[in-house]
Amino acid sequence: MITIAKDTLKTDVLVVGGGIAGLMAAINAAGQGADVLVAEKANSKRSGSGATGNDHFLCYCPPAHGEDMAPILKEVQNSLIGGYHDSPLTYKYLENSFDRVKDWDAWGISMRPTGDWEFTGHAFPGRPRVWLKYAGHNQKQILTKQAKKVGARIANHLPIIDVLVEDGKVVGAIGLAVADDTPVLQVISAKAVVLATGTANRLYAAPTPGWMFNTAFCPACTGATQAIAYRAGAKLVNMEFPNRHAGPKFMARAGKATWIGVVSDPQGQAVGPFITKATREVGDITSDVWNSVFTDMAKSGQGPAYMNCTDTAPEELEYMRWGLEHEGNTAMLAHMAETGIDLRKHMVEFMQYEPFLIGRGVEIDIDGMSNISGLYAAGDPVGNFRADIAGAATYGWIAGQAAASQAMDEGVLFEAEKSPALQAKADLCNEILDRDNGASWKEANLTLQQIMGDYAGVEVRSETLLTAGLTYLRRLREKALAEVQATNAHDLLRCLETLDLMDCGETIFLTALERKETRAMHKRSDFPFTNPLLGEKFLTIRQENGQAVLEWREKL
Amino acid sequence: MPPIIDTEKCSACGLCREICPTDVFAASPKGEPPLIRYPDECWHCNACGLDCPEEAIKLRIPLPAMMLFVEKPGDHTGEKSSDQGGTSR
Repeated sequence: MITIAKDTLKTDVLVVGGGIAGLMAAINAAGQGADVLVAEKANSKRSGSGATGNDHFLCYCPPAHGEDMAPILKEVQNSLIGGYHDSPLTYKYLENSFDRVKDWDAWGISMRPTGDWEFTGHAFPGRPRVWLKYAGHNQKQILTKQAKKVGARIANHLPIIDVLVEDGKVVGAIGLAVADDTPVLQVISAKAVVLATGTANRLYAAPTPGWMFNTAFCPACTGATQAIAYRAGAKLVNMEFPNRHAGPKFMARAGKATWIGVVSDPQGQAVGPFITKATREVGDITSDVWNSVFTDMAKSGQGPAYMNCTDTAPEELEYMRWGLEHEGNTAMLAHMAETGIDLRKHMVEFMQYEPFLIGRGVEIDIDGMSNISGLYAAGDPVGNFRADIAGAATYGWIAGQAAASQAMDEGVLFEAEKSPALQAKADLCNEILDRDNGASWKEANLTLQQIMGDYAGVEVRSETLLTAGLTYLRRLREKALAEVQATNAHDLLRCLETLDLMDCGETIFLTALERKETRAMHKRSDFPFTNPLLGEKFLTIRQENGQAVLEWREKL
Repeated sequence: MPPIIDTEKCSACGLCREICPTDVFAASPKGEPPLIRYPDECWHCNACGLDCPEEAIKLRIPLPAMMLFVEKPGDHTGEKSSDQGGTSR
């Protein structure tokens, strides 16, 4: 029988996830005077996709950009991410972004390592550059330190597995203490909850199908926010649009825009029209514009496609190396050195990675709140706003503010340990822990990836394929619930992560069925055209009395 | 793949286990290096390598995650090659 911790933890604001968004939410909420508890799956000093650093922060910087924000707003709206934003959020984000840059710089993350605000990379020649280059290798340690300094409590090794809702309002959460081999359930009473668990990975097969943890973004981020919010009755948005990253093959890494090279064919000739020689100011934007270039060239037989740095000047290569270190790519650099990869003469093959959830998830209002009172979301698991690290930092801050205000206005903490949902969760954990001769979580996770890839993938979707896939997914979920077993906290957590991913998958199938057109990477063979009538329309999905409710609305 | 701990250098402080984002380490008896219990769940983020106070950890990238590269065909600008003699490049 899984133990339920005797004492309920109590707080004003519970922050779920100690990543960039979570720590920023915690810092601001605590700064407002709220009591704050961060529940983090691993350790906030090194957790999440920001683990070992990042080097680019999208912002509007008046000293560099001038007093008119309009050209920067336009650049963001026209970028790959802008189409999925509700514009008021883009606007509020840009207005606040430079304040967060200054905060980070003041706290000890070097945001202008050369002394000036420098905007390099991720840009079209001749157009405004919106990505601030910074030296972020220590960002998680600095933010952890700052959170503690302002009085936020951080509970590491305590992933949250559900929130508790009473009368349409969030009243707390259930955590799973995983520091020891024996898992313990931990109830938390809170007046507001900020969900900030990052991207959702392991939903589709990694570039190395047998190696599930070879992913560009953190593989321990498995859609908890999206799944928990959905189960709580919150709306998710934009779930039907796959998102794929790209980078070195086969070693899945983020940081493709840190490379200073030209996307080239096997002869070393530029594939895109933008540049023939890369410099730090403007790398090769081809892979952002022509998202599938690496895949298309492989399929057409003209590939492979390469990141070609052979013509990059030595000082630019040195700058690139420095950037890659801060972007968290020290393991990749070590591997390159050991392997004898010399960028002056070698071209590195790049590939498109598997779909994952970034900027696909909870629908929030301008203050970061979902449609469930007291339930907020920030960072990568939000579906109607995304700006990577900078978005997490800025909207984490905004959500923390709103959550703190609401919590401090509230009266009494609900006695969350009395929630009936607690027993249901304990029952689920006990079934998994008590089982003999069961299936490992890996079997369930890999099967999920097989189904998602074949039936809700990026090659072809159709009414018949999606319907079949949804049937198979539901059958898999039943089997997984009946068969998976775990003998310790780690494996139990992995089982629960896989069930969260299945919830994400379910919403993807349902929304993909509903959007009857082809748009971006949502490719319907039965609706091969892009329908202008759906261009400015967002599709939301939520649960009500166990039924999925899908609704269209205008993109703001 | 797994972090490889140089047991000569390891002081058994347990920091690597504490900060690993994907929980690949298990506890071991006091004074001994942590065990790498889930080597295939290593993300190769190198947090352990960077944070180890004794610099006792390095990563071995598993074969399936190798990087692929080729020599660019044709001339290599700026390359010095002692056996090539003087040529127009």
